[in-house]
Amino acid sequence: MKNLRSFFFRNYATFKLAIASNLEYRFNYFVDAILQPTVSTLIELLLWTAVFRSLATNSLAGFSKEQYLAYALCAPFFARIAMNWMYEFKMINDIETGSINSILMRPTSFFEYYLSQLLGYKMITAFLSFLIPLFICWAFNLPLIFKNLPLALLMVFYYLILIFTLSFTVSTLAFFWNRVHSLTAVKNLSLWFLSGEIIPLDLMPEPWKGILITLPFSSGAFLPVGFLTGRVGLPEMYQGFISISVALLFFGIISAWLWRMGLRKYSGTGA
Amino acid sequence: MHKKNNFVISTQHLSRHYESYIKSEGLWSSVKGFWNRQHKISKALTDVNLEIEPGQIIGLVGSNGAGKTTLLKLLSGLIHPSEGTAQVLGYTPWERKTDFLKQISILLGQKNQLWWDIPPLDSFHLLIQIYELDETQAKKRIYDLAERLQCTHVLKTQLRRLSLGERMKMEIIGSLLHEPQVLFLDEPTIGLDIVAQSTIRDFLFEYVKNKKPTIILTSHYMDDISLLADQLLLISQGQIVYNGSVDDFTKKSEQIQRLSFLLSKSEDLDQNVSPLLLGKYTLSTSGIEQTLEVPPSDLGPLVTEISKRGTILNLKIEETNFEDVIRKFLQSEKR
Repeated sequence: MKNLRSFFFRNYATFKLAIASNLEYRFNYFVDAILQPTVSTLIELLLWTAVFRSLATNSLAGFSKEQYLAYALCAPFFARIAMNWMYEFKMINDIETGSINSILMRPTSFFEYYLSQLLGYKMITAFLSFLIPLFICWAFNLPLIFKNLPLALLMVFYYLILIFTLSFTVSTLAFFWNRVHSLTAVKNLSLWFLSGEIIPLDLMPEPWKGILITLPFSSGAFLPVGFLTGRVGLPEMYQGFISISVALLFFGIISAWLWRMGLRKYSGTGA
Repeated sequence: MHKKNNFVISTQHLSRHYESYIKSEGLWSSVKGFWNRQHKISKALTDVNLEIEPGQIIGLVGSNGAGKTTLLKLLSGLIHPSEGTAQVLGYTPWERKTDFLKQISILLGQKNQLWWDIPPLDSFHLLIQIYELDETQAKKRIYDLAERLQCTHVLKTQLRRLSLGERMKMEIIGSLLHEPQVLFLDEPTIGLDIVAQSTIRDFLFEYVKNKKPTIILTSHYMDDISLLADQLLLISQGQIVYNGSVDDFTKKSEQIQRLSFLLSKSEDLDQNVSPLLLGKYTLSTSGIEQTLEVPPSDLGPLVTEISKRGTILNLKIEETNFEDVIRKFLQSEKR
């Protein structure tokens, strides 16, 4: 019980520090939370408007233009919640430069230290930026099932933990090789597609459609946004939660093993 | 304290090797190295055996790359050894057990351990939670330590806006907040001005007097070592070459006097004095003066001999300090 209490308080303190630290840079915060997601949403809207203008019909694969616009509006914001490249870079950098020493010397873990920071950062950026698509959908009467929002958000935050575990796995490779940042770029590009942020995964032909939706990465955008816009039902959502759990277990075991091996190899930089 | 014997720190045959890859000069060697890399093993630390009693302050001295920081990293559990074992407070350091980490602290003079973007007080609050400290007492301790380090006024300023000296003082508070039993100080005064160096040195002197932690201190400033340490560990090329008290080291080492002189006939000075000095001492020039480092027993005959070679315009005899003795010792070890 005491350990659990201590775990909660130290991570809550880290969580709060991450918020304080991010609020230090007001301009960066504005760009990160408002400007960047707005620009990416405009791009998606223009893309889908152009697609429908070129089509003779007002529907595609059984879904209306409004449904695609609602999807295109929400998908980048959900995908942004489940994004972690900035903390992945920090973790890799900590290992490469030896800054990790200050964490290794404390009675806390590298994993929870950065996960708490990530959650603190998401708290102040994601929720604020998420108001933008919700407002636009409401203002233009785009089809959005608001009662599905809590489960959709729960899924994306659960997925965020998986993505963080994946980032942790990538960062542990920095114990073995220098400059593993390139792997982050490849991973992010793959996730961009696999999550369904670019196009809804149900537009893919079979068997790819089935495979892509079954993979845990569809929980980053396709499943929660599909659920919110009415393309996805509850059974697919439950399947998504199971899929994330299995992947969490898989990457959790791999990362724990890599971490142990990495620490044995770690030189602390410099003699 | 979880200890099996009287020693707070003990090591047996502790060694650490590093592997690095040999990169020859030029573009072709880079291309070749893409598929065929040759590696070399460098021995940072070899067969170190130590036994350190509680409350001792160990000055760990050696030239750059001698293995000082590697030894500190091993004892603090940051890295694993290639061979050998170590026990610190009864724990194997690199297992990094929570109870062990709560009793030690490391201060790396060249690395920031506190948060860069926020005031130190906020970072200290996080440390209070991490170490599960009583909040009221810990806050009292922060202000007490800050007062003694004369830096209370910067506790609420972002770390990035502080001077190097102020940052180091904040790092010291952060590392002492949980009152560690074993403290590893890796060049705590590096890069600081004379005033900041002396403030930190005096503070540490008072702190160790009151709290009696076991400390391993590395520094390139011998004033740090001579004021704070009661035991000296000299390390050269990864091996301990001296382990004993500072006083014994100074006594055991040859007491050297520095003799500087200026003769009226300066043109053939080297030849004038060489019959006595040939093959025994090295004559060095400092400005227009000549300097020799000699033991007291040779001082008299040498002055007599020099006076026979010309009129002495100036003569100075100085005691060599602790730093000179260490330098001479390490130079001889390198040879």
